[in-house]
Amino acid sequence: MIRVENLSKRYGKMTAVHSLNFDVRKGTVFGFVGENGAGKTTTLSILSTLMLPTSGRAYINGMEVTTEPGLVRRQIGFLPDEFGVYDDLSVREYLAFYGTAYGVEPALIDKRAAELLHLVNLEDRSEVLVNSLSRGMKQRLGLARSLMHDPPVLILDEPASGLDPRSRIEMREIIKGLREQGKTVLISSHILPELADMCDEIGIIQRGTLVACASVEVVNARVSGKRHFLLEVMSEGHRLAELLSRKSKVTEILKVDENKVEFIFAGSEADQVELIHELAMGGFQLKTFQELGGSLEELFLRLTAEEDAKAELIPKMA
Amino acid sequence: MQELGNRWTGKWINPLLRKELRQRMRSGRTILALSLYLFVIGAVAFVYMYVNVQGQTLILQPARTAELFTFLSYLQLALVSFVTPGIASGVISGERERQTLSVLLTTPLSPITIIFTKFISSISFLLLLIIMTLPLYSIVFLFGGVLPSQVLAVFGLQVVTLGAIAGISIFFSTLLRRTGWSTVFSYATVAILFMGFAIFGYLFDSVGLHSADESVWMHLAGICYALDPIYMQAGIETNLGLLSPSFNQSIVSSVFDVVNSHSLSGKESWLFFLAVYILIGVILLLISAWRLRPGSLTMVRKRVIRWMAH
Ligand SMILES: Nc1ncnc2c1ncn2[C@@H]1O[C@H](COP(=O)(O)OP(=O)(O)OP(=O)(O)O)[C@@H](O)[C@H]1O
Ligand SMILES: [Mg+2]
Repeated sequence: MIRVENLSKRYGKMTAVHSLNFDVRKGTVFGFVGENGAGKTTTLSILSTLMLPTSGRAYINGMEVTTEPGLVRRQIGFLPDEFGVYDDLSVREYLAFYGTAYGVEPALIDKRAAELLHLVNLEDRSEVLVNSLSRGMKQRLGLARSLMHDPPVLILDEPASGLDPRSRIEMREIIKGLREQGKTVLISSHILPELADMCDEIGIIQRGTLVACASVEVVNARVSGKRHFLLEVMSEGHRLAELLSRKSKVTEILKVDENKVEFIFAGSEADQVELIHELAMGGFQLKTFQELGGSLEELFLRLTAEEDAKAELIPKMA
Repeated sequence: MQELGNRWTGKWINPLLRKELRQRMRSGRTILALSLYLFVIGAVAFVYMYVNVQGQTLILQPARTAELFTFLSYLQLALVSFVTPGIASGVISGERERQTLSVLLTTPLSPITIIFTKFISSISFLLLLIIMTLPLYSIVFLFGGVLPSQVLAVFGLQVVTLGAIAGISIFFSTLLRRTGWSTVFSYATVAILFMGFAIFGYLFDSVGLHSADESVWMHLAGICYALDPIYMQAGIETNLGLLSPSFNQSIVSSVFDVVNSHSLSGKESWLFFLAVYILIGVILLLISAWRLRPGSLTMVRKRVIRWMAH
């Protein structure tokens, strides 16, 4: 449904997107993860016909975004990362405007607007002026707006930014609902866990390059239960590392020096208590036993960097 | 019934225009501005008549009425030229600043539709303003001396002028990121149209007086004056017999001299003015529409680089 081939975008000398390749199958949700400045918005803007790529091609439903932008626009509902609303329009009028702009049958507009307002939980606000809505409400209204013409493809740039935890969960449920309706969704975020729950596939973009791309099951299997720990001791760091590496629940030792060891631990909390106990019995003087936040992406990336994993995870990038 | 109305307007009014008009007419400012304008024009007319009619019979004083009409028409020209950039210089940059442009550009509305709709919606307010003053002018007709067709000729000039100014303002609004700058450039251009051309006309005339080939300079001066709405309106009003040397005020008579010496009351000047202003407006709007398309800047940059490399 969405196909990206060798897509690159340069701003002057800066390469924002570098030879991107990925595919989003019909009816699936593709999560596009990357930190700030990774190139998510740039990619999504190209797909939404707002920007021309420097090179490469992108297709929406078989139509090329640069040569047939008019057709592509009817296929997509686009929610930009930051957007505003017009003054002096009510929520209902706002939706009606975009509906008519897309040529939706006048008879259908009110009905669809009402349905969508129900979907995004704003049905009691239909007569309120749009610029009086809160940021989170505007975000939800924006999603409703992008659905007014019932497009088969949705391109959502960080739809959860600025939402409170409850609204984030609601947004996730809405997107799952859209997948059930058979929509193809491309959604970006800088937080992997947020996407893991609603996506079929995840692509991680770093400095303009897609560094990993895998189905969400693989991501979950790779990442689940694995945590990143830091142990600080008075001395004997190397002996400690050696002991840890013999434990079956310790999957990887990341850093070792005289006073500290960082490692990946795949055990439960009970296993963790037991490990601490064992170490204490082994005569180590533990200063700290700390779980490092370490982003899930980082963990995931490191795991995918393992040679065997690579073959399994990135077959379609070839 | 309403549905029928919707269908009918749907054919003629695109969704963007309907939305724009709704927003414009809803905000209290529009109504306030319209009422204020009518009030000012009305008050001026009444004061003028009151002062002139005092102690005399109220019957026909064609010369006086012509004077009043001329005065009001200049007031209107000034107002319209002053208000247009204020309305039009924010239409695209405002969408950019409010971050509504990207969504608008992903709808099937083409850049041409967007730009021309913005044009119509920004001049609609001023057209309404002009049309609303028409009944007021009918009071002037009552006193005689001015024909409805004369009023329409002058209003035609004003509509073309305001259209061109709107085109220029929308052009700056599309080209520049900030509404502030767009407004500054738009007013600067209006100043050039109204005063710049007059100054150049005067300079060319002066040079011509001391030059061997006076006619070339006179011709240049004529072109400048013919592009200045102030002189062009004087030209039409002279043609209509409204402006005459009987106005023995110095400004009026000096304008009248220019009109006569450069035959601005002739049809050629009038057509020249119309052609240039309409062309400028249309070309600038087309460039604006082109600029809204993705990649237009990159294209220009590449062309310039290639050209420089030559
Ligand atoms: N119009 C522009 N001109 C120049 N550089 C730009 C422009 N837009 C983006 N960039 C640069 O391109 C890179 C990618 O930006 P992009 O907005 O695509 O990142 P992003 O992944 O969406 O980040 P974020 O999570 O902050 O939204 C950044 O380094 C940014 O500075
Ligand atoms: Mg972004």
